[in-house]
Amino acid sequence: MADENTQKKEDSKKRPKRYPNKNYAVKKRLPARPLDGANVIFITKKTNFKAQLDKCCELLTRGEKEIILHGLGAAIQRCCNLALQLEILFSGTCQIEVNTGTVDLIDDLEPLTEDLDFDAQVRCSSSIHIRIFRTAMLGAN
Amino acid sequence: MEVKEFDATLGGTEHLPSSVNCLKFAAARSVEIAAMTESILTPKKTKLVFQSLPVHMRRRVMSHNSKRLPRKLRQAHFEQLKKSGLPKQKRPSRKYRRRPANLLDEYNRRQKRVVWLETHIWHAKRFHMTERWGHRLAYAPCDKAFRACYRASSAHCLLQDISYYTPIQVSGPLELIKEMFTKVTNSSCGLGLCAKAYIEGTRQGMVHLYGKNTFPYGPQHLNEKEEYWEKISLLNSPSQLPPNIVVGLVVKDPRLSRPTRRTKAKLENYSERHSEPLIRIPSFLSNSPLWDTKIHNTIKKEKITNHQFIQLVSKTQLVPGEIYEDDPALQSIPVVLIQRPGSQCSGYKKLGYGSGWDIIIPSGYALPFWLTFIMFGARSGGLREIKNLSFEMGQYYLPPDSNAGKDNENRIQSDLRERYFKLPPSKRVNYTKIAINSPFICPWDMLLSDWTDQRVKDFFVLRDWRLLEAIQDSIKHMKSLPNVEERQSCLIPVHLKLASKGNLKNHAVICMPEPGDFAAIKTLFEPLHEDPNEKTRKKKRSEHKQLVKKLKRKRMKLKKKNLLVRNPKSNKKSPQEPSEYVKTMRELWLPSDVAIVRNLPSRQVMGFISQGGFSFTEAQSCGIGYIAYNALNMLLCNHFNQVLVRNTSSRKYQLANITIANSK
Repeated sequence: MADENTQKKEDSKKRPKRYPNKNYAVKKRLPARPLDGANVIFITKKTNFKAQLDKCCELLTRGEKEIILHGLGAAIQRCCNLALQLEILFSGTCQIEVNTGTVDLIDDLEPLTEDLDFDAQVRCSSSIHIRIFRTAMLGAN
Repeated sequence: MEVKEFDATLGGTEHLPSSVNCLKFAAARSVEIAAMTESILTPKKTKLVFQSLPVHMRRRVMSHNSKRLPRKLRQAHFEQLKKSGLPKQKRPSRKYRRRPANLLDEYNRRQKRVVWLETHIWHAKRFHMTERWGHRLAYAPCDKAFRACYRASSAHCLLQDISYYTPIQVSGPLELIKEMFTKVTNSSCGLGLCAKAYIEGTRQGMVHLYGKNTFPYGPQHLNEKEEYWEKISLLNSPSQLPPNIVVGLVVKDPRLSRPTRRTKAKLENYSERHSEPLIRIPSFLSNSPLWDTKIHNTIKKEKITNHQFIQLVSKTQLVPGEIYEDDPALQSIPVVLIQRPGSQCSGYKKLGYGSGWDIIIPSGYALPFWLTFIMFGARSGGLREIKNLSFEMGQYYLPPDSNAGKDNENRIQSDLRERYFKLPPSKRVNYTKIAINSPFICPWDMLLSDWTDQRVKDFFVLRDWRLLEAIQDSIKHMKSLPNVEERQSCLIPVHLKLASKGNLKNHAVICMPEPGDFAAIKTLFEPLHEDPNEKTRKKKRSEHKQLVKKLKRKRMKLKKKNLLVRNPKSNKKSPQEPSEYVKTMRELWLPSDVAIVRNLPSRQVMGFISQGGFSFTEAQSCGIGYIAYNALNMLLCNHFNQVLVRNTSSRKYQLANITIANSK
């Protein structure tokens, strides 16, 4: 059922291929970060999944009351996956609270011809913020 | 007994003449005179000069300290000492040497040959120093801080003194400058010097051959600037700002605002953010009095020394140890900040890695600024960190088609050669056996000549970004390369990532895989080769041993007969040229005439890795190297997009993925 749905979606809503602008090259900037801390983890696609999972496990077993996972754009899926994995691993002792949001990203347009100036554009990207918090005391499981 | 007088006038017998003929007189005594002058000129040296003094005038350490001798004898004394060897002068005491005037003299003497940076003394205490480009520069910190330096560059703050860069100001009408620079730059490698984006002076440009901006002077907008700066100082990474933004600021003396203890360079959290200042750069931002060279001298002249500063603080401050941060007695200093964007492509490297600021400060203020940065938690790095940073960012450092790159390669080669031949023969890698003929330098010209029919002398690294992008595309889809002019002398910069575990090192060879290699990569070794020189080396060595023995026997014989005259000079060891024997042996170990490169090992050599090692950003072994255009073309024609790599000290081939390396 689910497979069928996605298949249809792909067919009907196939995005037109994006051609690069000949006058500008798009360069990305670092997105603005939410509040950082020892218990905040930004999920990336470049970091090894197992390593991130281990890091979260360590934080939780060490006695952290809550950890916050942030995922942006393509990393949202991985972020959800990680949170669900954690829920299974710490089943009964942890709960998940999910928030979604939108982040403004700034792209730089670098001119490729001599007679153009630099420019920038604002692009919106979806984000997910997952709070994993302990419900049972440490040592209960 | 009666004494008889001699002279007739006194009643003697002899009549003396009334005058003396000088010439006759002298001539009659010529033999005696000659004997006397000879004895004066060449005195019999049975005594030292000071021994000629009467006993009551002799002093105890006269032979040692010539100042105890009467002045007229000193010259002769020195002459005598020279023959017997002057007594070794004792090193002056540390107390004497550390007196400020003497220390300064010593520093000035040591700066004559190579230029010192302003922070030299600070660095020399903490860094290994090397001589490079006429400067004495910091190479690497004495604490072996590879990982700490990487961490500082990625999450905290890494600080480097690059004041050995020489700024060149080009002034004149815009049209003229434009015309001049179009002759020496290539528009296909990026924006030119006078592109519209740079003319305003709000951004920094990079031009191959010359990197220099045109900066306008203008009225000061101090308040607006402060406002803007306050807005952007809430950000937590320089890579969130417009790339290459130039910010001119006027700051107070850095000595006023130092933490008493070294703090950590940590990111601060913030609540609000505005995206408006991140998109538009106000045009007044790059104005700075620093662009006016006349101001530099006044700033230098009016700078108060550390001593004056301490005096001022201790006199004027009521609470000891407290510093009034807005002291009007100290002059303000114009500085210019230029942003470095770092990685701008999230697919290639971590976004924003390597981003930071170039800070231009007037001369004379380097050390106060430096110390303040250090106290605020920056970690300092040297030349090694610059190299490592470019490696981590996947950019090439000192490309081989530039003079600086060639110099660098030659220097590394001679260092490595030296180290190789210091090893005992049993510990040396026999490069001939594993089919590597130039382990310490990459023979780019030979490589390119082997991949074409004609001889290639001048080669170049492809920098045309359009072509590089097209090449990247064709690597991905395994189709043949786009056409490049002068393809026979073209090197393509590539970034290699090993497909599995392994370790890449400098000078590793990049080879062409064969169809069966991908399945059997685990057991793919270079077969052992024959070393034709091995027997010759053995023979030479035994001959040399015999010769040494023979000479020794001869010497002993002479010694027994007391005929041996020791030549004191030949005994002294000096780092001279190695002997003929050593040279021939070295030649037999590593033949210097490299004739073939491509077909030497069992897999064809496509290129070399100029820098390889473990990359912290990729968490695996990576390398940056160059591949001949024709070789890459052939690889893609064979429908492969992976290559084989082999370290110079190993026979094992490993599989690696290639991407095009960014130049900027």
